[in-house]
Amino acid sequence: MRTGLALLCAVLALASLALGPVDLAALWARDPELARNLFIELRLPRTGLALLIGAGLGASGAAAQALFRNPLASPDVLGPSSGAALGAVLAGYFLGAGVIGMAIGGLAGAGLSLLLLLALAGRGAGATRLVLAGVAVSMLLGVAINLALSLAPSPFALYDLMFWLMGSLNDRSLPQLALAAPLILIGIVLLLRAAPALDTLALGEEVAQSLGVGLSAVQARVVLAIALATGAGVAVAGSIGFIGLIVPHLVRPFVRHRPGAAIAPSALAGAALLSAADIAVRLLPAALDLRLGVLTALIGAPFFLCLIMGRR
Amino acid sequence: MLAFASMTTGAVSAATPARVVSLNLCTDEYLLLTARPGQIASISRLGADEQESPLARQARGLATNSGQLSEVIEQRPDLVLTMGHDPQGVALAARLRIRLIALPYPTSPAAVVAQVQQVAALVGNTPAGTTFAARVAALTASAPKAQPGLMIGGSGLAPAMDGLAAGWLRLAGIAQQQGGQISLERLLVQPPPILIRNVYRRGQLSGPQAWSQHPALRQLRVTQVEADGRAFLCGGAAMPAEIARLRKALAT
Repeated sequence: MRTGLALLCAVLALASLALGPVDLAALWARDPELARNLFIELRLPRTGLALLIGAGLGASGAAAQALFRNPLASPDVLGPSSGAALGAVLAGYFLGAGVIGMAIGGLAGAGLSLLLLLALAGRGAGATRLVLAGVAVSMLLGVAINLALSLAPSPFALYDLMFWLMGSLNDRSLPQLALAAPLILIGIVLLLRAAPALDTLALGEEVAQSLGVGLSAVQARVVLAIALATGAGVAVAGSIGFIGLIVPHLVRPFVRHRPGAAIAPSALAGAALLSAADIAVRLLPAALDLRLGVLTALIGAPFFLCLIMGRR
Repeated sequence: MLAFASMTTGAVSAATPARVVSLNLCTDEYLLLTARPGQIASISRLGADEQESPLARQARGLATNSGQLSEVIEQRPDLVLTMGHDPQGVALAARLRIRLIALPYPTSPAAVVAQVQQVAALVGNTPAGTTFAARVAALTASAPKAQPGLMIGGSGLAPAMDGLAAGWLRLAGIAQQQGGQISLERLLVQPPPILIRNVYRRGQLSGPQAWSQHPALRQLRVTQVEADGRAFLCGGAAMPAEIARLRKALAT
């Protein structure tokens, strides 16, 4: 399955590099230097960010569902996505921080939201309590974002914030890719290294502890990794929801429902899904101006409903 | 005609108002340009913010409001100015017998001139309106031959070709080529001869700010001039000075 997903990612990446408002092949024949600049400065960062952010969200979703042993756990439901958005908004707009400041704000917001979640749930909390605490944290952060919006310095700044929160990869730059890529990759690597421990945790906390897997250590590692993978993505692209929720469910049947084993294919499937969504946004009529985060939500919300209906 | 287009409520007094309040950034600018010292009871907080209005320095020491009529009632204004459709504010003003004038959004420099003259007459300072009209007339008479160009703001949003901003740009010698959302790719491949970058809140990072700092945009080898985004927010009383500044920048 991994090879198939990797091939799908490669095909979508090529499509993403080739598609855009300008015919790159025709431009190459006319002005190779301009075509090269356009390719490197615009197409490459957009494609790279779609793959990386999608991979980070997919892996984070799979790891969250494994850690909390709940199929509804994901960066959107538990709070790190909202935390990252709030952190980036506060850093960017109210502290006047630059691109790096927004990234730090995003990482801090995602990490703090997860720490708050663990603190609220308490030591040795069951999966249900953790998810309930996550929903509470997510709602709290949603309110805090609304407060930040209502305290925007001016109505025009408010529009900026609202559009940013809708998520987009439009016209992203190489410096933004260079900033987000290492952080997301470190997050994904940390999650992949935690996969065996998460598989063991699926057997139950007592069994896992008897096998030498400490819950606190796994929690700390996964929280840090999700903060890195989610926070860096949100800081560069805004809020992009539902990828982390959908993707683990799509891949889990292919890994015999082993939660840890779902992390790597979830990363690949997340990369493919976000790349496909970003291509779809570009193919839609320009007048629609549909934002990437809105499109992923349009796909994800019905999926979420189906998931709940299927479990009745 | 604009006098008829604007909504007026309350008891109309022919006397010069002693306490005038503005609830809107654009009427703040009209008021700052036309009112006499001591005549302004308060303006909106945006009008006193140097990041929002080029005329904010003139507002130093003035009281500010949050743009809500209910907040300024205790200031006992003789006249309240605002802009845009505000039926609730108009209805409240009518109930409280407060004279409120809601000006429509102007769509051309000529409409701005008419509104400045209207406000000048309302505050009993007709010469201020005449001076503004003369200044715009002089800019119109001396307008350079318009050459194609493109004003663009953060996120690639360009003002409409037949809108208020385009009308002012013509006085700076620029014919706005296109309006709406413009992708950075298209801008690179079909660059305008002159690019006017509408800069707003430079110090604060947002999506639009990140767009306007994109390395590809900086590499564009066309004449690039920065416009003061604060003046173009209203496209009103602060525009003659901005047009004069743009002309100088384009000439160098």
